[in-house]
Amino acid sequence: MRSERGVGVPVHGNARVVPSWVGLVLLFVSAAALSVAVGPGGFTGTRLSAVMDLRLLRLALGIIAGGVLGVVGASLQGLLQNPLADPFTMGVASGAALGASLTVVLGRSAGAFAPLGGFAGALATMLVVYALARVRGRVTVTGLVLAGVIMSFLFSSLVMLAMILGRRTLGEAVYMMMGHLGAVFTGTTVWLFGVVAVLSVAGCGWLFSLSRSLDVMSSGEEAAETLGVDTQRVTKLVFVVSSLLVGMVVSFTGAISFIGLVVPHLVRMLFGPAHRNVLPGSFLAGAGVLLLSDVLARNIVPGGLPLSIVTALVGVPFFIYLLRSRL
Amino acid sequence: MKGNERDKEIEGQRDRVAQHPIPALDPSIPRSLDPFPEAGSPRTAIELSGLSFGYGQRLLFDGFNLDVAAGEFLGVIGPNGAGKSTLLKLMAGLLRPGRGSVRILERELGLIGRAEAARTIGVVLQENPFAFDYTVADVVMMGRNPHLGTFQSPGRHDRQVVTGALKFVDALFLRDERINAISAGERQRVVLARALAQEPQILLLDEATSHLDIAHQQMIAGILVELNRQGRTIVLLSHDLNLAALYCSRILLLDKGRAAACDVPERVITGELIRSVYGVEPIVMRHPETGRPQVLMPTLNSRP
Repeated sequence: MRSERGVGVPVHGNARVVPSWVGLVLLFVSAAALSVAVGPGGFTGTRLSAVMDLRLLRLALGIIAGGVLGVVGASLQGLLQNPLADPFTMGVASGAALGASLTVVLGRSAGAFAPLGGFAGALATMLVVYALARVRGRVTVTGLVLAGVIMSFLFSSLVMLAMILGRRTLGEAVYMMMGHLGAVFTGTTVWLFGVVAVLSVAGCGWLFSLSRSLDVMSSGEEAAETLGVDTQRVTKLVFVVSSLLVGMVVSFTGAISFIGLVVPHLVRMLFGPAHRNVLPGSFLAGAGVLLLSDVLARNIVPGGLPLSIVTALVGVPFFIYLLRSRL
Repeated sequence: MKGNERDKEIEGQRDRVAQHPIPALDPSIPRSLDPFPEAGSPRTAIELSGLSFGYGQRLLFDGFNLDVAAGEFLGVIGPNGAGKSTLLKLMAGLLRPGRGSVRILERELGLIGRAEAARTIGVVLQENPFAFDYTVADVVMMGRNPHLGTFQSPGRHDRQVVTGALKFVDALFLRDERINAISAGERQRVVLARALAQEPQILLLDEATSHLDIAHQQMIAGILVELNRQGRTIVLLSHDLNLAALYCSRILLLDKGRAAACDVPERVITGELIRSVYGVEPIVMRHPETGRPQVLMPTLNSRP
């Protein structure tokens, strides 16, 4: 039954907005608590404070990485009007991993430049995939996924090549290609991570400031232009900021699959499509889902698993569902 | 009919169309939707001069000129590929001319910012796909985009304008529906309401009635006539010669980027012009209520 609303009452099109926020915050808080409380080292003992230091850093990395992947996935899907866009399916995460590996391999002291290498790799991949997928002014769904998959294959191989030539262990290469939150922090990299965390939150805020433009662009580029949106400027901004965010995060975590794809869809189911809700919601949900995946990844097998093994087990069925139902 | 009698009849045309009954519209529409031109406001809404534009090597428009007066209701007709949609996109600033100028309200369009242009010109495009399932109210609120700053949320006034625009097109009852779940006629009204929420003085419409049944066609036409009566300039692209002839004050007949004619309907919807541009032998009759020309499709065995 339609309730009669008075003139001037905001219509968000979804009466579940407040409960949805409560649910997301609960998911996030419980995931964070689990992430801190559960681990191979237990929650008691004399070395608890050292274990907690590690877990809190892991928690911070998980929040930033999951949040960034969620927000970037949501922004790319909105910008390209494409339900399958995401840093991983577009090959951008692999490109970032390649950029980061190259900087790491080229010199041991160059580790501090890994986030920059990740950014360069991500931006280059974004532009190549966009150019390949754009046919007569439109980014087609299949074109984007095909170009992204091809680039992913290429870059995964090149990451492996770089790691072998750089005499790194196979394990390091696997973690770079499939993601993990177990980054080993030294004095320098903790500091570096602090900078990356601040930049990541700022970048997500910047994408959030484009919410309304992204909403308007969902009715097509030409219509958006007639509604006062500078679509070229928005496209460039989203590409550059997304590449920066993904590049920085991947240089710490490696390429994590499917978070950026699945999370925005789940959030849209909760809030409807308006980006003013979807972007911050994707940050919270992305962080929550990534932390939960990490809890699984490091506790079901002794020694831990790469993150993408867990995220893919959830993500692939969802991807198939999207492919079958939405296209 | 003698020449001067015919001219007299044509001159009287506007009066008669004004008397022609149009669907009643909600009188409680906010005055902000009412853009009566102020004293000293520009008299030319759209001015194209020496316009050249082409796709690839071939020039579609070469030195094209057109003046649309403020408050005019211009129909643009012509065969497929005549350049109607291109002309509209040039007027809307979606395409930049190779040479020549597009002036809107006596200002160069290229020098007007995108947001300001969107506060002046509302456009209803032919295709309106929505990648995500926004509510109707959210879609119409997108029309407020050029009025809002980056971090500004829609306020009370914006919601009033949205409500008013939805009322104007008789679609207020749809406001909580999903845009991809309503019918084509409803969707067309919603997209028109979104353009009205921009509060534009000029409205450009590309085939706004082409997918619609006769009742919806009449409804959209009634809305456009009323908007025009309020002082808005309207440019309507249509394949429907009869609709254009009934409601437009002037018709531009485009043929391969040239103006084959641009005049009151009586002088454009004629057997000779239709035959020379479209290559069919039409039967032109008078509308019994307004006397405006109406075209009947010829049978197949009367092809020229």
